[in-house]
Amino acid sequence: MNAVAPQQALEFLRSSAPFDGVDEKHRISAAQHTRVIYLTEENKQELLAEQQGRLFLIHSGQYSVKDSDGAQRHVSEGDYFGFSGLLDRIDYPIELSVDSPGLVYCIDGETFTTLIKHSASFSQFFKGAREEELQNQAVSDSNSMWLYKPLAEVISGDAVSAEHNVTIQQAASVMSERGVSSLLITEKGELVGIVTDRDLRNRVVALGADMGKPVSTIMTRDPARIRHNRTMFNALSIMSERNIHHLPVIDEMSRRPLGMITASDIVRHQKSNVLFIIGELSKAQNLYELTRCSWQMPHYLATHAKRLGDFDIAGKVLSQATDIMTRRLITFFQQQHGSAPMSYCWIVYGSQAREDQTMGSDQDNALLLADKPDEQQAEYFRQMSEYVCQGLGKCGIKLCDGNIMASNPDLRLSIDDAIAEAKRWVRQPTKEAIMHFNIFLDARAVAGDMSLFNRMQSARAPLLKQNMFLAALARHANEASVPLSMFQKFVYAKGRDVQDSIDIKKQAVAIINNLVRLYALANELKMPATLARLANLPENAGLSPRDADNLRDIWLFLNRLRWRHQLQNSVTDNYVRVSDLSSIEKHQLKAAFKAIERAQQAAVMKFSGGVN
Amino acid sequence: MSLLSRIQQWLNPASAIPVQWQDIKIKELPLIGIDLELTSLDISTSNITSIGWVKGQGNCLDLASCHYSVICTTESLNQSPVIHGLTAETIALGEDVKDALQMLIQEAHNHVWVLHNVTLDMGVLFRLIRQFGLTMPPVVTIDTLKLAVYQLQKQHQMMPPNSATLTVCRQRHDLPLAPAHNALDDAVATLELLFAQLYQLDAKGQITLADLMHSGAINVHQLNS
Repeated sequence: MNAVAPQQALEFLRSSAPFDGVDEKHRISAAQHTRVIYLTEENKQELLAEQQGRLFLIHSGQYSVKDSDGAQRHVSEGDYFGFSGLLDRIDYPIELSVDSPGLVYCIDGETFTTLIKHSASFSQFFKGAREEELQNQAVSDSNSMWLYKPLAEVISGDAVSAEHNVTIQQAASVMSERGVSSLLITEKGELVGIVTDRDLRNRVVALGADMGKPVSTIMTRDPARIRHNRTMFNALSIMSERNIHHLPVIDEMSRRPLGMITASDIVRHQKSNVLFIIGELSKAQNLYELTRCSWQMPHYLATHAKRLGDFDIAGKVLSQATDIMTRRLITFFQQQHGSAPMSYCWIVYGSQAREDQTMGSDQDNALLLADKPDEQQAEYFRQMSEYVCQGLGKCGIKLCDGNIMASNPDLRLSIDDAIAEAKRWVRQPTKEAIMHFNIFLDARAVAGDMSLFNRMQSARAPLLKQNMFLAALARHANEASVPLSMFQKFVYAKGRDVQDSIDIKKQAVAIINNLVRLYALANELKMPATLARLANLPENAGLSPRDADNLRDIWLFLNRLRWRHQLQNSVTDNYVRVSDLSSIEKHQLKAAFKAIERAQQAAVMKFSGGVN
Repeated sequence: MSLLSRIQQWLNPASAIPVQWQDIKIKELPLIGIDLELTSLDISTSNITSIGWVKGQGNCLDLASCHYSVICTTESLNQSPVIHGLTAETIALGEDVKDALQMLIQEAHNHVWVLHNVTLDMGVLFRLIRQFGLTMPPVVTIDTLKLAVYQLQKQHQMMPPNSATLTVCRQRHDLPLAPAHNALDDAVATLELLFAQLYQLDAKGQITLADLMHSGAINVHQLNS
């Protein structure tokens, strides 16, 4: 009685699509051409190398695997890997990490190929699985989303530029030679102006100007510009707000122009229209128009943010919209009350600063003043802050419960006082102080004199990277814990109407934000957004690029769950219901929680020497 | 066996392990998972109704190497048809037990045998081998039952009842449920269990048979002793 197969193997194949659909003869043959491996973190390299070219079917255990140019997948019983390589006849290296060890069936590659040829449903299954994998990758890889693309990746070729002292004639001939509609004008390499087709038409041809004059006489001086490490989204916001079609991209450090983003670049990259609202907001002429437009935002997002990938930018859209509302409101106020008596900067904190606002986020803002104001000046800023905060409230951005608003006189400090305050935090990083000041550590300037804000940030940065302060922050970041029990079961929030909900903000997203902020402060990174901080951490930051990528993926994943929850259930809370999740999402959520826990431990080790 | 080698073995049990397997890691040993289905649990009278085995090495077993023999016997089946699913008709069509034993003996030269409850299965095997006047070279066995007891005793003082059956042992290692009491299935299940047990003992896979002698799970069986 040779050529037998164990019942165990046959039954397992019988219950695993698509082997359930093939006839018994082929199933027995598949079982006989199978090796069963006990796959562990320690032996994976050796075993996977030995079994290369086989189809892997998981019988028990949990693994994270990347087996093609697709994204990493979390797989467990009944899941396959290695089929992309078999379908493409390419030996993709299999990167795998073992979350819990177990048995994996390694089915002979020849047998697989025979079944693919023999059975249409069998081949459909694996081809479908691969497409799904690629689709998942398209949304999971936020960098592939055009809006998230750093400008450095978008601009093509080098910047077309000319020095400021060339003649108009020479400048025009450079433009026609290079086939561009705009030209960057530099002085000693630094960007000083821009000339467009329209300028040549309006300022030269129409006026019959002398083409021998230097180009600097007709250029637009000191044009709007954007740093190369910002994204397409940032560029689009500036362009639609300022109503310009050409936006020079400069290198952050050297200030040299690197290229140009044009309206047609944007159109070419645009696949989504979720940003349309931004243009509408910036066109608003009065408070009434602004509020009318703002109130459409939730509805707009609910209708247009359909794909998972849209949720990745929803927070950005909302934050940038809030920025524009703020700027419009300041403009409206100044139209009525005259310009500000001294220079000021409107600063935002928390989620708006990080650009990860959700529908439930409230406003966190403050005013930074160039000097201590006298009574009359103080009154102007009091009225302005009151008007803007109330106006934002009318636009649907909730007033802050904790009174972290510019309308609070304590948050209208002069720059000297603000720096002195930062020194006090760092000198005495008590638990209460950290709780209170955590929110001020993610900050961004939204309106007014940005240089004030930059001065404050530059003065604060060296203070905030002091070890004792970071250690206190690390301990604080370790106080919140992910909602997983010792036995890896979800711990549900108490006192909610829905039994199985998890506060995904407090117990997950906020923890990541806190951790990433730590690394960012330690490395004096200035940007407040969590994903941008992760992307800009230097090699030696103490967080490996792999861990950083991991945190980014987890952050995006959690953020999607949160947005989907808010939009689907028409709520503004962060209590995601576990019953709303698919089984793979539950699995991913647990894996995400575990990874956050590990990252917390690593941060405590790094910043507070393991002391809790 | 000479007196000298007996004393040697008593002083150093590992010296009984055949030389070719003495210094190599368990993960490099050629293994064979074996299970016998018996008519009773009494070594002196029990007969074999079926034999199954599968070969493997280094955390990998090859289902192509599966072997399954149903034994033709005229003995009373007692309660076992209920347990093994083998009816008298199937068994009447089966192989002669001597042929099946001879095939199994072939595997003693070049494989370490892995069984769940070595005492029972080897007891019956040896009785039958002697009965048929067959010969067999020394055979090295790993007992997954003894290994389980050893691992449990490292954790608890008291052994919970039924804590060492094949099914319960597999559950403890999060291995999938397997249909029990078919010789081939149990052989596969036993070898899979060994992989999980060895991983728990030594995740890096560095130990040799000698390192496990103290657990009582490693034995060298000599037919003439």
